[in-house]
Amino acid sequence: MLELILQALFSGVLQGGSYALIALGLALVFGTMKVINLAHGELVLLAAYIAYTVESSLGVNPVFAIPLALLIVCAAAVLVYFLVDLIRQDRELNSLLLTYGIAIILTNAIQLIWSADIRSTGSAWFQEPVVIGPLYSMRSELVFFVVSLALMTGLWWWLSRSWYGRAVRAVSSQRDAAKLMGVNPRKTELVSFIVASILASFAGVALFSYGVIQPSYGHVLTVKAFIITVLAGMGSIPGVLVGALLLGVTEALTVTLASSALQELAGMCLFLLVLFVMPNGLFGAAGRRG
Amino acid sequence: MLRVEELSVCFGGLTAVNKVSLSVGTDEVVGLVGPNGAGKTTLFNAVSGLARPSSGRIIFDSVDVLRAPLHRRAKMGIGRTFQIPQPLHELTVRENLLVAQRFGAGQVDQQKIDEILEFTNLAPKGDREAAKELALTELKALEVAKALATNPKLLMLDEVLAGLETSGKRRFMAMLKELHQKFAVGILIIEHDIETISNLCQRVVVLNFGKLIADGAPDQVFRDPEVIKSYTGADHAGSR
Repeated sequence: MLELILQALFSGVLQGGSYALIALGLALVFGTMKVINLAHGELVLLAAYIAYTVESSLGVNPVFAIPLALLIVCAAAVLVYFLVDLIRQDRELNSLLLTYGIAIILTNAIQLIWSADIRSTGSAWFQEPVVIGPLYSMRSELVFFVVSLALMTGLWWWLSRSWYGRAVRAVSSQRDAAKLMGVNPRKTELVSFIVASILASFAGVALFSYGVIQPSYGHVLTVKAFIITVLAGMGSIPGVLVGALLLGVTEALTVTLASSALQELAGMCLFLLVLFVMPNGLFGAAGRRG
Repeated sequence: MLRVEELSVCFGGLTAVNKVSLSVGTDEVVGLVGPNGAGKTTLFNAVSGLARPSSGRIIFDSVDVLRAPLHRRAKMGIGRTFQIPQPLHELTVRENLLVAQRFGAGQVDQQKIDEILEFTNLAPKGDREAAKELALTELKALEVAKALATNPKLLMLDEVLAGLETSGKRRFMAMLKELHQKFAVGILIIEHDIETISNLCQRVVVLNFGKLIADGAPDQVFRDPEVIKSYTGADHAGSR
């Protein structure tokens, strides 16, 4: 029993890496634009399907799909940005409708192109088991967990050291003040969209490499990312990572101890629990509103 | 340098600024005074780009900036502070200035940053503290420092002394006195305290109910019966 729980914890942590990438993208865009991109999960899924296509048509490891996924997902994200940017009135609310609509269109487009069948990788290299003591994982899970950590470190560096990273933090922190300091808000928003879709591309390829994908999976990912962002209390990378690991572990424990049918429900319960007990999130500053 | 012509700003049916014309030269320190609700901050908002005027013109350095977005006006050299400080909370004090300098002035000059930090008494806080950790006096100083970092030609200060205790106020006054010379910047300052204004400014502009009622040297303006009336509220007692 103990071994089962340990194994669940381990798998949950590994899964959390990709969750964190998806959540960080959602949080970045929310930070600069105050828009919750409900099509974010579909962008991740798009990357996953590109990985599937590259693997099945060229017979290569899905990692080779990353450049193509980056290109297409970034282009799609830029398109989403310009559509959201067209909204001039009540953007925070109306963008929910718009991005939800885009999500539905993307889901259906994916279903049209790739059919509703469940897909998973056929790469033997990725599916090879890696055993660490009593714990087991697929090679792809470990590889992408490390990739996630590297990307998060890169994101942290970019946000704290680069000029556009600082501009993203400036606009997220005080939009008007940032503008008065000469920061172009629209350029900064666009940059945040692109960085979010870079993270989404990697997360999508990762999800395909160790799990199963289907067209309806996009909104599940969006909800997960949303839960994690609220758990973290917006704005800190370590916070998002911890939130993501927490969600991953909760899901894995639920699958192990109860049933995989309850997986999404467990995440929702965690979400409600945190909202009741710590409304500012696990790491949100108390009493300060955005 | 700044010329505001017949500027009006309306919010629904309310005319907050009513056909105001004024100018600020590069080598001037101009006070903007008037009772609460006179439209002073709204005028600042219109010039910096936060409020959309309903008519009139705003000429800065011979360019009509009425349609220019905020960030472009900042780049052109219009700097301002807010009465309620708006720092970039999550960034350190130095980062606040770096962002302002990189995006507002277009180039990074650490030496100038050090100079500004020194001048605004923020040097000890510079690298260590996130802006959200600062006390009110420091936040007010950061407002000025941020604006200075964008390398402005015009600096609009909105009640920088309000809410400070006496010693903080005195230190701030000393800083304001030097500001104009040291950074070669024209200043338009909103302030309630008449003594402060007389002390700092060569010229005073008085607004009342959105209208400009006086423009001239402080000792002259503050003797103007209409100005005195607007301040003591003789005519408008109870109407606010």
